[in-house]
Amino acid sequence: MWAWLFQRITAILLIVCLAIHLTFTHLLNIGDLGYDNVADRLAHGGLTAVDIILLAAGIYHALNGLRMVLMDYWLTSRTRALAVTIVLWVVGIAFLVYGIWGLWPWIGY
Amino acid sequence: MSKKPRETANVGAGLWKATGMWAWLLFRISGLILVFYLGAHIIIISTGQFGTGGGTFDNVMDFLEHPVAIVLDIALVVAVLYHALNGVRIILMDFGVGIHRHKLVFWSAMAVVVICFVIFAYVAFSYLANDVGPWNGALGVVS
Repeated sequence: MWAWLFQRITAILLIVCLAIHLTFTHLLNIGDLGYDNVADRLAHGGLTAVDIILLAAGIYHALNGLRMVLMDYWLTSRTRALAVTIVLWVVGIAFLVYGIWGLWPWIGY
Repeated sequence: MSKKPRETANVGAGLWKATGMWAWLLFRISGLILVFYLGAHIIIISTGQFGTGGGTFDNVMDFLEHPVAIVLDIALVVAVLYHALNGVRIILMDFGVGIHRHKLVFWSAMAVVVICFVIFAYVAFSYLANDVGPWNGALGVVS
């Protein structure tokens, strides 16, 4: 129930934040991407917030989606379901930390 | 005996004539592609932060804006747009919006996919042809 609800909430966040991310990062800057170019854009702060929301919502949505696919084919017992859920949370948090570390040089640039 | 197992195995086969089953299959395939893409995106871009002064990051960005990478991005855009718009359709169905006109809702969502794709493809091919993005610096956004 909560996983279902959060999948919808993150879906809506992803559509909004991904539209902003793709427009500003790619449609308006194609060919110019680089360290200073990203720094200029993220200096606005709002776009850094969008990227962090995108990172967290994207990781949750992706890994919960993967969990839903696994439930159809392999997650046939509660033990397996719990084990996979724990593993996916650990993987997700690791990716979140690594992603924020990747944005770190520009946070408060 | 000879016919029975085949009939059993074919139960549900007729459902593949319904739009919804193809929508579901493509949703699942695009979703799995996007999970692996997201992982690669985070790993590749964050790894660009190793090294000093942003030099490594610039090299990673040059690699990602190589023409081959741009063409792959076009394919990625198809997966993203299909997954996003079919997702919108699913949320509408959850709320019961257009449930009696689900085919119309599906094809309307696909029309939005095509319109958005044309925009992305225009930018990508324009960049590939002219070595400069058509809208870079527009809206007062730094480029």
